[in-house]
Amino acid sequence: MFSYFKEYFDFRAFFICLALVIIGLVSIYSATFDINNAANFHRQTLWAGVGFIAMVITSFVPLRTLQRLSMVFYSIVMIILAVVLVIGSTVKGSKSWFGLGGLGGQPSEFAKITTVLAFASYLSRTDVTLSRLKHLAIALCIFAAPMFLILAQPDLGTTIVFFVALLPLLYWAGASNFILIAILVPILAAGGALLGTTQFLIAVVIGAILLYVFRENRFTVAVAFGITLAVGLSVQVIYEHMHVYQQKRISTFLNPEADPLGSGYNVVQSKIAIGSGGFFGKGFLKGTQTQLNYIPEQWTDFIFCVTGEEFGFIGASIVLGLFAALLLHALRIAAISKNKFGSLTAIGILGIFGTHIIFNIGMSMGLMPVIGLPLPFLSYGGSSLVANMMMVGLLMNFYANRKEY
Amino acid sequence: MITVDNIDISTRRRVLTIIILLAFIILFLRLYQLQLLSHTEFGKKSEENSVRVVVKEPVRGYMFDRTGRLVVDDGPAYSITVTPAMFDTNNLAFLSSLLQVDPALIQARINRGRAYSRFSPVRVVRDIDFKTLSKVEENLYLLPGVSYDVESKRLYPFNVRAPHLLGYCKEITDAQLARSGSIYQQGDLVGSSGLEASYETFLRGEKGYEFISVNSKGQLLGPLEGGRRDVPSKEGFDLILSIDFSLQAFAESLMTNYRGALVAIDPNDGGVLAMVSKPDFDPAIFSGVTSSEVWTELNTDPDKPLFNRATMTRYPPGSTFKMLVAAAGLEEGIIDEHSHITCGGSFRLGRKVFKDMHVHGSVNVVDAIHRSCDVFFYQLILKVGLDKLQEYGNRFGFGKPTGIDIGDETSGLIPSTEYYDRVYGKGKWTQGNLVSLGIGQGEIGVSPLQMAQYVAALANGGTLVQPHAVNSIRNKRTNKLDNIDHHEIPVWLTSEVMSMIREGMRRVVEEPGGTGGLARISGVVSAGKTGTAQNPHGADHAWYVGFAPFDQPKIAIAVMLENAGTGGAKAAPIAGMVMEKYLFGELRRKVANHNSQTHIQDTTVRTTEQGIQ
Repeated sequence: MFSYFKEYFDFRAFFICLALVIIGLVSIYSATFDINNAANFHRQTLWAGVGFIAMVITSFVPLRTLQRLSMVFYSIVMIILAVVLVIGSTVKGSKSWFGLGGLGGQPSEFAKITTVLAFASYLSRTDVTLSRLKHLAIALCIFAAPMFLILAQPDLGTTIVFFVALLPLLYWAGASNFILIAILVPILAAGGALLGTTQFLIAVVIGAILLYVFRENRFTVAVAFGITLAVGLSVQVIYEHMHVYQQKRISTFLNPEADPLGSGYNVVQSKIAIGSGGFFGKGFLKGTQTQLNYIPEQWTDFIFCVTGEEFGFIGASIVLGLFAALLLHALRIAAISKNKFGSLTAIGILGIFGTHIIFNIGMSMGLMPVIGLPLPFLSYGGSSLVANMMMVGLLMNFYANRKEY
Repeated sequence: MITVDNIDISTRRRVLTIIILLAFIILFLRLYQLQLLSHTEFGKKSEENSVRVVVKEPVRGYMFDRTGRLVVDDGPAYSITVTPAMFDTNNLAFLSSLLQVDPALIQARINRGRAYSRFSPVRVVRDIDFKTLSKVEENLYLLPGVSYDVESKRLYPFNVRAPHLLGYCKEITDAQLARSGSIYQQGDLVGSSGLEASYETFLRGEKGYEFISVNSKGQLLGPLEGGRRDVPSKEGFDLILSIDFSLQAFAESLMTNYRGALVAIDPNDGGVLAMVSKPDFDPAIFSGVTSSEVWTELNTDPDKPLFNRATMTRYPPGSTFKMLVAAAGLEEGIIDEHSHITCGGSFRLGRKVFKDMHVHGSVNVVDAIHRSCDVFFYQLILKVGLDKLQEYGNRFGFGKPTGIDIGDETSGLIPSTEYYDRVYGKGKWTQGNLVSLGIGQGEIGVSPLQMAQYVAALANGGTLVQPHAVNSIRNKRTNKLDNIDHHEIPVWLTSEVMSMIREGMRRVVEEPGGTGGLARISGVVSAGKTGTAQNPHGADHAWYVGFAPFDQPKIAIAVMLENAGTGGAKAAPIAGMVMEKYLFGELRRKVANHNSQTHIQDTTVRTTEQGIQ
C-alpha cells in the first residue's frame, strides 16, 4: 500500500514546500506582529490555504488536458496583462495590480507559469523542432510577448525572471550553444549601452568574440551581431529621449548605493541583520534589526534577513538547503519524465524558482543588485504564494505521471 | 541551418546540476562569511546600530507683501516627543505635571503613535513655552523615552490679521495622510486654508534626513558615517503677495466695528491690495497648538468669524448693479445717450407699484447712474430681458468663480430663464419678477470679490482681470522669481458706452446730487456707486464700489457692510479713506469731517500705523 502511494505521491516536493511555507509564515509573523498586529500573517495564512487547494487541483489535472488548455491560459493571461496596463492600479510606481471587486492580484505572477506551459506545449508537438528558424522564432515570441507587457508596467524584476528562465528551457529543449549565446549577447549590449559608450563598446567586442567562438556559419553570426548592434543603439537612443525621472530610476537600479534612502540603505541594514544573527540566531521575535523595523516592508522582498537574524546560520542554511533540494528535485523530475511537455515545464519551473531564489537571497546578502523579486514561499504576497504552490502541484503531477508518454 | 545539439539528457542534467550547486555554494559561502566570519563585526554594528533616521523639517516658505516687507515669518517651536517603546508609563503623571497637560491626552497620543511604530517618537505636546521646555529638559534623565523636537511655527510680524487670506496650517488628518503618499508623516503641519493651503506644494519645502547612530539603550552616538548619508532639508519657496500690508492694516482697522467685507484690487492686473472680512480672528492662534476650546469658540460664534465674507457671501448688489444694466441697454442699442424718461417717483406694472427714493424728473442714462434713479432701470430691464442680463452678468464675472488663489469662493447667482422656471414653474413667473433685478435687488447674489472684479473692469476700460493675492514665487533652488500668469478677458464694451457709464460714476462722487460724496478724495478725481441692498431679515446691507484716480485708476474697491444702513453713509467713507491712504500713503482728510464712529476708527488707524513703521 505504502509503496503504491510512494509511486504516485511526490513526498519530496510536498514536504519541501510545506516546510518553506511554514518558515515563511513564522518570519512574516515576526516582521509584522508589531506593526499591524500581524494582520499580514493572518492574511498570508489564508492565502496558504488557498494555495494548498490550488496545489491539489493542479496536481490532479490530466497532462493531456493541461497541454491542450495551456494556450488558452496563455491567451487569457496575455489579455489581462494588456488590460492591466490600461486600467490597472499603480502600486509603488508600476501598474501591475488587477483589482476585481475587493480582490487584488498580480497577473504577472501567473504569467510566468502560463508562459512556460505554452512554450512547453508548443515545443512538445511532434512537428516542431528548434532547428527550424520559424519554430525557434515562434517559441521566442511566446516568451517575448508577455515579457514586453510586463516590462511596460514597468516591472523589471519579473522581466528578468522571464529572461533567465528562458535560457535553461532552450537548453533543455535542445538549442545549440550558439542560440543561447546569440540571445545573451544583445542583452549584454543593452546593459552596456545604459552604462555608457565605453561600456557599450566593450560589450559589443565581448559579444562579437563569443559569437565567433560558438559560430555555426558566417550568416548567422552576422545576423546575431546585427541584432546586437541594433538593440544596443536603440537602447541608447531611447534612454536619451526618456524623462529625467525615468533615467534616474534606471540609474538607481544600476547603482543602488547612489540612493542612500532607498535600496542602498536597505542592503546595509539587511547585511547587518543577517550578519548579527550569528550561528544560532537571536531567537524568534528577538531580532533587534527586525523588531526595530530598520528595513521598510521587510516582510516582502527582504524576508530572508528575518530568518537570518532570528534563526541564524542554522536557520538560513536550512532554507538554502530546502531551496537547493527543490531545484534539484525539479531537475530530476524533468530528467525522468518520459513526457516532453512535463519535462520542459519542470525545467521552466526550475528556472522561475531558481531566478527568484538566487536574485532575492543574493540581494539580501549584498551579492546582487536590488530588484524587487519576492522569495518563493517566504515573502508576503497572495498571488505569488498561490502561483508558487500551483507550480509545486504541477511538479507533483509530473512526478505521478512520469511514465506516461 | 541552425543545428540542435544532440547531447543526451544525462549530460544536460549534469550541466544544470553543476550550475545549481555552484550558485548555492556561492550563497552558502556568503552566508558563512556574514554570519560566522564577520559575526562579531555585524553583531557589534547591530548593537550600536543602530541607526535612527531623524527627519529634519524644512523651513516653510515666507510671504512678502508687494513692497517687499516680510509679513509671514517662520520661528522655532518646541514639541515634546515620546518614544512609546522606551517610555515608562509610571512616569506619565510626572510628565503631565511638568507639561501641565491632562495625562489622558498624553496617553492617547502615545497609543496612536504606537499603532504606527513603537520605536518612532510621537509628538505629545506642541509649541510649549521656553520655561516649560527647560523644566522638562532638567528632568530628561528621569524620563527615558522623552525628548523634544524643534519645529517651525508661523509668526506674523505685522499688526495685520487677514486670517482668511493668509490661511493657517493644521496637523495633518488621517484621511489626508492616506491620500498624500510618503510626502507627509503623522503629526506634520499642512496648509489647510487660504494661501497656506493653495500654495502648500510651494511653501512646504522638502524634508531632510539625518542618520544618527544610536546604541541599544537609545542614546545618541553621533552621525552615521560622519553624516555622509544625510540629506539636508530644502526650504519652501517664498510667496510675493500683491497685498499692501500698510493698506491691509488700515482697512482692517476701519472695518473693526462692522460685519462685512472689503476688497481692494489693482485694476491693471487684478492683484489684491487688501482683503478684509470681519469679524475675523488672529491667525497666530493656529500657528502653534490650537486647543479644542478655541476651535469650538470660533466654530460656534454666531458672527461666524471663520467665514470669509469677502469671497463667500451672496448678497444682492443693490444700485451698484445699475452700471451693468446700463451697459447691456447701451451696448444692445436699446437706449442711447439721448434716451430719457420722466421719473415720477414710482413705476407701475399692471397692478404693482415699484417705488423710487425721489422724483427725478427727466433723466438720461448718465443722470440715472448719477442720481441713482430706480424708475429708469425698472423700465430698462424690461427691455433688456433676462437672457441679455445673464449674458452681460457673465461678461463682468458674475455667476461664476473669479478664480482667485485663496481657495473657496461662491459663484454667486445671476438668474436665467431656466432658473425662474425651476423655482416658480414654467409660465408661473412674470415680468414683475424682473423689475427689481434692474436695481440689483431680488434674486441676485454677488460676493464683494466679484464686485471688486466688476468695478476694476469699469476702471481699466473693459478688461476682466483675474483677482489674485500672489504675484510671484521665489524659487529657492534657483533663487529666481517665477511670475504667475493670470487670465485677462475683455468684456467687449465700446468705448462710448464705457465712457458714459464712467461719467455717471464720476458724477456720483464728484457732483452734487450724487450719493457717493463721502467717498470723495481731495486732490484726486474718483468715481463710484453706492448701493443699499434690501434685506428681508433685518437692516439693509450697505455697498460701495469705486475706483481712483478717474483717468489712470490705480485702485478699485468694493465695500459691503451687513445690516449697516445706506451705502452712501456707511460704505462710501470707508472706501474713500482706503483709496486715499493707498494713493497718498496717509490719510489727508480731517477726521472731524466725519461722524463720531469714523473718528474712533481713525484713532485705531494711527496706532496701527505706528505699529507698522
